Amino acid sequence: MAWEWFFGKDIFIDSISLVVLLLIAFFATKYYFVKKSRNYLFLALSFYSIALAFLCKILITFTINYRILHREVISSMQYTTTIVQSSEILLISGDLFYRLFTLIGLFLLYSIYERQSKANIILMTYLLALSALFTKDQYPLYYLFYLTTFLFLGIITHRYYQNYKENRETTTGMLAASFCIITLSQLLFVLKVITKSFYFAGEIVQLIGYISLLATFIMVLKHGRKKNKN
Amino acid sequence: MDGKRTKIDIIEDMLSSIINKGGHIKPTHLMYKSNMSHGQMKTYLEDLINKDLVKKSKKDDYDYILITDKGYEFVQKLKQMREFEKAFGL
Repeated sequence: MAWEWFFGKDIFIDSISLVVLLLIAFFATKYYFVKKSRNYLFLALSFYSIALAFLCKILITFTINYRILHREVISSMQYTTTIVQSSEILLISGDLFYRLFTLIGLFLLYSIYERQSKANIILMTYLLALSALFTKDQYPLYYLFYLTTFLFLGIITHRYYQNYKENRETTTGMLAASFCIITLSQLLFVLKVITKSFYFAGEIVQLIGYISLLATFIMVLKHGRKKNKN
Repeated sequence: MDGKRTKIDIIEDMLSSIINKGGHIKPTHLMYKSNMSHGQMKTYLEDLINKDLVKKSKKDDYDYILITDKGYEFVQKLKQMREFEKAFGL
């Protein structure tokens, strides 16, 4: 399959997503210190957690590319084996942390809108840990992770759409649209099981989603300033 | 506004009242415009002065409360925060 050309470009796409997430998390933290509200704290933690997940993913992708590069360049078999072994630990742990931080982040975001009882939190933590631990890429059940993120994001998008229906504000509508695009990207990642081209498509759709999230955020800041002048 | 006002709501009301009056306001007017008791306003006003968001001034034998540049900036940040809250449905 000639999709290897895409190697490395996903690092760039994920880096953009990481910057957008950190930016929103930073502002949510700033607002949390002004208002001391639980919702702001959860929003900040959620975005930091997903950002951390992206950082893990970038490290994994970088490691994979590094391995491929070294296999091409180095002629000594002994040296190649050493590199593969040392990067294997990074790959496995990075992959696990990527899944864990993504699920924790999404659960925190979901918890802003759907209040959780203590029993629910314990049960959900257990289920999320299972989803993260037993859905590695090599396992036939790997798509369960993306199905879980798809479900979480679907519920959150629906909540944002309801919010838009209530206030009919452009920024609220844009936020719902951005999350809808990001949700769609998760569905494409699920389909990676059919052909790896879906991974490429998922990354592109995800990039569009995060860029529109950035545009929404810029608009929120501008809108606040404009209203202040009036 | 729904329910009990938080500290930040009261501060926003006070600063917005000063801005709506052109950047300066008499203390009694500020008290009525921001729906506060005398004691409450005294406490909040001291806090705002200490944080350099407003300052006191005298003009034609009348006391006035003036909003500072820092105060204007703070109101702007609060408006952005409200917009952020509305967008995310917080």
